[in-house]
Amino acid sequence: MNILELSHVSKHFGDKKVLQDVTFSVPEKCIFGFIGRNGAGKTTTMKSILGLIKIDSGEITICGDKVTYGQNLTNKHIGYLPDVPEFYSYMTACEYLRLCGDVTGMKSSDIKTRSDELLELVGLANEKHRIKGFSRGMKQRLGIAQALINRPKLLICDEPTSALDPVGRKEILDILSAAKEQSSVLFSTHILSDVEKICNHIALLENGNIVISGTIDEIKHMRSEPDIELFLQNPDDASKVVKAFPSAEMQEGKLIFKNASDNQAEQILSFVAVQHIPIIRFERHEPNLEDLFMEVIGK
Amino acid sequence: MNGFFAFLKKEFFELSRSGKLMILSFLFILFGIMNPAVAKITPWILEQSADTFKSQGLIIGEITVTAMDSWLQFVKNIPMAMIVMLIMFSGTFTGEYSKGTFIPIITKGLSRNSIVISKAVVMIVTWSIGFGLCFGITYGYTAYYWNNSVVNNIAFMAFCWWIMGIFLICVLTLFSAFSNSSPQVMAGVGGVYAVMYILGMFGKIKEYLPTFILNSSSLMTAQNKPSEYSTAIIITIALSVLSMLVSLPITHKRQL
Repeated sequence: MNILELSHVSKHFGDKKVLQDVTFSVPEKCIFGFIGRNGAGKTTTMKSILGLIKIDSGEITICGDKVTYGQNLTNKHIGYLPDVPEFYSYMTACEYLRLCGDVTGMKSSDIKTRSDELLELVGLANEKHRIKGFSRGMKQRLGIAQALINRPKLLICDEPTSALDPVGRKEILDILSAAKEQSSVLFSTHILSDVEKICNHIALLENGNIVISGTIDEIKHMRSEPDIELFLQNPDDASKVVKAFPSAEMQEGKLIFKNASDNQAEQILSFVAVQHIPIIRFERHEPNLEDLFMEVIGK
Repeated sequence: MNGFFAFLKKEFFELSRSGKLMILSFLFILFGIMNPAVAKITPWILEQSADTFKSQGLIIGEITVTAMDSWLQFVKNIPMAMIVMLIMFSGTFTGEYSKGTFIPIITKGLSRNSIVISKAVVMIVTWSIGFGLCFGITYGYTAYYWNNSVVNNIAFMAFCWWIMGIFLICVLTLFSAFSNSSPQVMAGVGGVYAVMYILGMFGKIKEYLPTFILNSSSLMTAQNKPSEYSTAIIITIALSVLSMLVSLPITHKRQL
């Protein structure tokens, strides 16, 4: 069963079309990477899912319930971590989680156990200070804890790792991976290595359109062949190679063969051997998301 | 309802942790003490300045201070306490909108009505307790030094001021629903008061305006009867309820 479904969602602000016919779904127990450049419409999509923005057309359902703008009923299924989470600075992490638990109508004893459990998970169990003195990373971690307090079916995180240092990023990714056991996670980012590390489904948003979506394996197989990079000792030999293999592109002192099959790799190698062309390096690159991303957005 | 009480608890918690509770308690108690104190020391102050006045040709005779002077101080000082309180609360909504602290709470399913109503309740409770303290202290000291019975309609006069505070809190809530900063909210509340004040200068209409109920000295000297204020009081209450009712749908539509 799908936890979240977006069907033909469109939204414009003034003349600018921010979302155009956006359709995708998030299945149970999955980490869904929602990728896009800055300004691609990721936050607008997430706020629409939360009922904080009115969509122009289309339908959003969460666990089968339709999302209505201004009403927050479907939010009982959701835990949300905004891109820059802000909490009441005069409270401690524990007090804030109690407020969140009370707001969602949890029992007092349950709030206590759940808070202890989550503060342990996010590494804030020993933090007794008020939120006022928290670093950005600590706020993100508290943000995840508050989002998970009522065991939501869907955890939505808006660029949770963007502003963090490498250690902070790794910690957040680990927490999100652990959260998958209880909730589906929809997490937006433009850091593709984060997506490759933890996501099993992705959708790529570009100019308000979903240009690719599917499981990470499906997407990687969209580009079945790797690229070859050939570094020549003598740059003058490049013209010979390009003549024999017109698909080769010259770039910064190297020749690139896009989507090169095993057969083509063999042909290239035998060509340089037969022609006695001295080479420095011959490399095959497994396609990664970044290549695919660049290809799709036409860069 | 759980969400409403949880948020109400948070609001009281904020009032105490942010120091607002302490400042406002101090202020209302201070004014409560000052009202009779200033009245009490007025003859002494005038005596001290008698020589200066004499050189200007003014001769000060014997001054008799009564409970009336203490209550006149009360009606002079209570607006100041009210203004300070309104300024302190002017950012209660807009501060949260601009920081984004509502977002995690609203996305947990808390209704926006609960937020608006609980914030208004906290302001009204704070005003009522603060006003009660100030009134009680003034009443107690005035009774101790003089005789409150020479002043007419004290309780009704106090009730009028209390209602005015609630009216301005409701107007503040209304302006908070669509304003982006606390100065905008204050300008809105101040603007509403200014408009009423100006309209009050023109003939008969003044009897229907909320500002009419602040005509305290006429009440205390029995020039006016409480019944003459009933229309203005009903209008003030109606406008307060209307402000609250209008603020709810506006808050619903507000983009976060």
